Amino acid sequence: MSATMDRRRLLSTAVLGGAGIVGATALGSLAPEAAFAADPVPVEPGAPDPNFAEGRISKISGSMLLVTGSDAVLHSIRVTDGTSIWKLTPTTFDRIAIGDGMYARGLRLPDGTLAADSIWVNIVSLHAHVAAVGRNVLHLDHNGRRIVGHVVPGTTAAVYNGTPAVSDVSLLRVGRHVQVIGAWHPDTNEIDVATVYAAA
Amino acid sequence: MAAVIGEMSWFCCGNTWGPCGTVGHGACGTCNSGSLQHAWPNASDACLAITRPDACGVGLSRRTCGFRHYTTNLCTGSRIGTTIADCGPQTDLFCGETACCGSSCGSNRIIDLTPAAYSAIASLSSGLRPCSVDVV
Amino acid sequence: MLALIAAVQPLLIGAVLLWSAAVKLFSRQATAAARRSALVPLVGERRAAPAYRLVGTVELAVAALLLLPPAPPLEAGAAAVLSAGFLGYLAYARRAAPASSCGCLSTRRTPVTNRGLGRAGLLLVAGIAAGWAGEHWLAAVRQRPLAAAAVLLVEAAAVVVLSPELDARWLLPLRRLRARITRPLAGGGGGVPLFATVQQLQQSPAFRQVAALISSDVREHWDDEEWRIVCHGARYRGRVATAVFAVPRLRYDPGAVRVAIVDEATGVTVANFAGARSAPA
Repeated sequence: MSATMDRRRLLSTAVLGGAGIVGATALGSLAPEAAFAADPVPVEPGAPDPNFAEGRISKISGSMLLVTGSDAVLHSIRVTDGTSIWKLTPTTFDRIAIGDGMYARGLRLPDGTLAADSIWVNIVSLHAHVAAVGRNVLHLDHNGRRIVGHVVPGTTAAVYNGTPAVSDVSLLRVGRHVQVIGAWHPDTNEIDVATVYAAA
Repeated sequence: MAAVIGEMSWFCCGNTWGPCGTVGHGACGTCNSGSLQHAWPNASDACLAITRPDACGVGLSRRTCGFRHYTTNLCTGSRIGTTIADCGPQTDLFCGETACCGSSCGSNRIIDLTPAAYSAIASLSSGLRPCSVDVV
Repeated sequence: MLALIAAVQPLLIGAVLLWSAAVKLFSRQATAAARRSALVPLVGERRAAPAYRLVGTVELAVAALLLLPPAPPLEAGAAAVLSAGFLGYLAYARRAAPASSCGCLSTRRTPVTNRGLGRAGLLLVAGIAAGWAGEHWLAAVRQRPLAAAAVLLVEAAAVVVLSPELDARWLLPLRRLRARITRPLAGGGGGVPLFATVQQLQQSPAFRQVAALISSDVREHWDDEEWRIVCHGARYRGRVATAVFAVPRLRYDPGAVRVAIVDEATGVTVANFAGARSAPA
């Protein structure tokens, strides 16, 4: 725990403390204009991306995830300290469970494993109509099926017609169309709602 | 076709886990979440009748299954090439919606990428980003 | 009583078929509705609209036969066959094209649901019952108007409850009223959601400066007085690093967002950008 606090103190000081400031000129070669001229990622459009994996976690071994893809292909995902893990919010490796669905992006290594930069666990992006609202719950009609969306106070955010996100979801109207980013509860029709995009 | 500026989102397809935006392999029969593919609002007459981008004043060329588009994330400049594998997004349900990054803004949803494609140029947790779509 | 119920079924079925036919034959959105329906995978895109109108024509014809005297059982049989066929189409649509629109009693986008299947089943049962009608519905209504009205009211209510197309007229307004009164989602406090901070971060000049270096989604975050510190993985000149952002926590000011790139191995800050007010090296 104290190692985490020391690390956080170091990082906070780095960005807020003002020590060792190097100006924007040091980053000149990385100006957005230069990035715009960069080549696209060199994977054939339409083809499966070797630097991406999706599926359900079937085994956790040390810092490796064994994942069964929807095409029945097995993926080995290598998780490091530099890997970001999303499970409704940014979280740690110990929160990942067998049976979770996931998407991972990183770098395919020569040994066939995927060194993950980012892992998104149980993340879903759904278009739905708000069928009803209840206490901290949204009942969503998704492709004719009912999905129960749990509002998580402090985490769930609403974006109303592109305006800055707020925690107030009470302006969502029954009958309106929404896009929901959320974390699926495996093998159920329930999700925790991370973000709701509501039309005007 | 000149580059079209708008918003990009993502959806899943194929025999994948969890509730998906598209059941099965999409309108083209080839869509998979792990492939660099996208959904286009004007992939056919039947598709256009569902997505109705014209209702938002957006004109998009008819492009059919397998056509190649290049999508640029206006926030970071990163770019990905994908092929049409499905019909979507439902543009007319979010007419006038805008996403911005500093002074770069995009209005109306014009493209939906698979998780593989979207994660190559943005984070899946963001859900919606301003973009430009081109054919070269 | 059973004879009365059987006798008035043709009126109910005829009314529903008339309404359905009107949607398919006279609505301006009919062609679009046909293209959104499961007729497209069934008969092909080019034949969907003509097939849709053909179904409407058949519905109109059967409705006319049911509503106009006399009442031979053959007409009830035709209605039952039509309902059975429709039930089969809905079951097919649910399996083969679940995102397609029903296109049944409205041109609004309405996926095929269990309620729609239930309604088709109700009409099938009504069609079979009508086969036992001993007299035309008009005669039955004249003989026992109140009883007939009660039966029809109950059945019409069942059709409405089983019609998702009509929810916008009664069910959704009721739910909106309940939400307005009970306000179940109010008081959603708990501070500023992380997503709001990330949104602000991505709007900032600091983010655009280092976007090409960032290699991961948010790895960790914590609050430090009026700032929220948000960390992403980064790569700087081939080395593993952390991009540390400081974002104003309680106000919206993307210009004030600061970032530092910290080498993971050495802990050295290799680059720093203090918002729009950068300091020279």
